[in-house]
Amino acid sequence: MSLVAEAEGGTSDVAGSSVQTTAPSARRPTARRGPFRLRAPLPRGWDAAVAVGASLAILAVWEIVARLGLTTPLFFPAPSTILSTMARMISDQNLLWHAWVSTLRVWGAFLLAAVMAIPIGVAMSGYRVVGAALEPAVDFIRYLPVPALVPLAIIWFGVGEETKIFLLWLGTFFQLVLLVADDMRRVPNEYFEIAYTVGANERQALKDVAFRAMLPSLVDNLRISLGWCWTYLIIAEIVAADSGLGFVIWAARRYMKTPEVMAGVVLIGVIGLATDQLLRLLHRRAFRYLRGA
Amino acid sequence: MVHLQFDRVTKRFGDVPVVETPFDLSVRRHEFVVFLGPSGCGKTTLMRMVGGLDAPTTGEIRLEGEPVGPPDRRRGMVFQSYSSFPWLTVAENVAFGMKYRTDLTETEKAVRAEQYLDLVGLYEFSDHYPNQVSGGMRQRIAIARTLAAGADVLLMDEPFGALDALRREQLQTELRAIQRRDAKTVVFVTHDVEEALFVADRVVVFSKRPARIVTQIDVRSRLGDERTIEMRDGDDFFALRRETIGAVRAAAGDEL
Ligand SMILES: Nc1ncnc2c1ncn2[C@@H]1O[C@H](COP(=O)(O)OP(=O)(O)OP(=O)(O)O)[C@@H](O)[C@H]1O
Ligand SMILES: [Mg+2]
Repeated sequence: MSLVAEAEGGTSDVAGSSVQTTAPSARRPTARRGPFRLRAPLPRGWDAAVAVGASLAILAVWEIVARLGLTTPLFFPAPSTILSTMARMISDQNLLWHAWVSTLRVWGAFLLAAVMAIPIGVAMSGYRVVGAALEPAVDFIRYLPVPALVPLAIIWFGVGEETKIFLLWLGTFFQLVLLVADDMRRVPNEYFEIAYTVGANERQALKDVAFRAMLPSLVDNLRISLGWCWTYLIIAEIVAADSGLGFVIWAARRYMKTPEVMAGVVLIGVIGLATDQLLRLLHRRAFRYLRGA
Repeated sequence: MVHLQFDRVTKRFGDVPVVETPFDLSVRRHEFVVFLGPSGCGKTTLMRMVGGLDAPTTGEIRLEGEPVGPPDRRRGMVFQSYSSFPWLTVAENVAFGMKYRTDLTETEKAVRAEQYLDLVGLYEFSDHYPNQVSGGMRQRIAIARTLAAGADVLLMDEPFGALDALRREQLQTELRAIQRRDAKTVVFVTHDVEEALFVADRVVVFSKRPARIVTQIDVRSRLGDERTIEMRDGDDFFALRRETIGAVRAAAGDEL
């Protein structure tokens, strides 16, 4: 009757050994080998290698097509041209400063949206009254196209920073609120009940258990909505700005400087890719427990 | 002597009567009572009302003579799934049972956490996350957490339902030993007849919904206090099992 740990796995192996005598020939004969089996895992390190390799291949084809003169540089400059243009813009046109300004706008609006969306979203699914009250409004606004609200934003806020932040916030807040509400809804009831039965009150159950339980998916959703912010940034900066990557792109377009337009676009992509990868890495670090043994 | 008392309890969810005939039952202190009954008959509902997670429609449930209120740490719950927090280590999960206790110092909490980890055989897995241990270990985390919280009533809703037969048997033996050692009152829900008989002092057999007590089986007078794996192959256990299955069949009535 001693309370010793069970021999993990051992028992079930013994029980299974007499049954699992599937001969190799009984395997699915049509099963394909290698990476193109459905849902087959990639060997360690392959992920990054394939990603880099495929990206380089696309760039190489693009470069070759452009060099062979199959495209007009005016419409479709080669990657090397874009790169050298970007380098020139960094030294002559303060490109990095514009990128910095855009990044600040994106993060400003994003943090504002997050700080508002998290408590409101949690309240919406934690308290049915709040949800019932806000859902129609949130759902309505979230389907409004942000560009259509630009005139309104200018009427309300003029053409200063507020307009840009407002437009970015508009594009993310209402989406994020619903995602947060969903994250909260997915916290199993059992978690709350465990907290209550060890003496927690509602506030403690919310803070120590529900919020902690939803954190991984919340962080994921924040990462995704940060991406939307970059989408709306261009709209905001095209309409009313004398700084930022959107402004740079739009100004270059006016003179048909396609390489400059592309350089701006590529820089946004690079910033986005880097941020996203960084956040994914942090997610994996912070939520190690999600991966099993 | 009476620890837990159901006094003419009924329960309905909207139009659905879950317990219609007023339900009376007394559970003695340190008694291990098993609710056995067909799926959907209302066992979980009755148990949740003891925990304070649901309220009776009429009637009253009393704990030590006092009507039960909202959940507190005298009544610990062990669920079938989501029974531990994946973001806490095994040790932290057990310590969570004492997180809101103000009667213990941090040092005392740490000592107790270790004691209960040891009791359920999880000491060497202290720093693992629940994802990294077996389903059986996860249920032991929940048991240790409930004990650490200081519960004297353990409410267990099919806690071993998701485990394989051998692991179930082992946990049943351990649970029975802990219950006797620490003198806990247990209400345990299952629809597995053998499990019910193996762990219980008394088995309460339910009808299908609306729940009604069909019969009660005094297992303790037949099998005694001590339960060992070998008993499961004994004639006494076998006879008891047949009787109980008969009662359960009768309870299921025209469904069979
Ligand atoms: N919150 C609720 N609202 C409405 N109906 C409910 C609710 N909870 C339970 N029920 C219904 O009450 C009945 C009894 O449910 P309960 O979970 O207590 O049964 P059970 O005996 O535990 O069944 P099982 O063995 O399947 O776990 C079921 O028909 C269920 O659908
Ligand atoms: Mg149930």
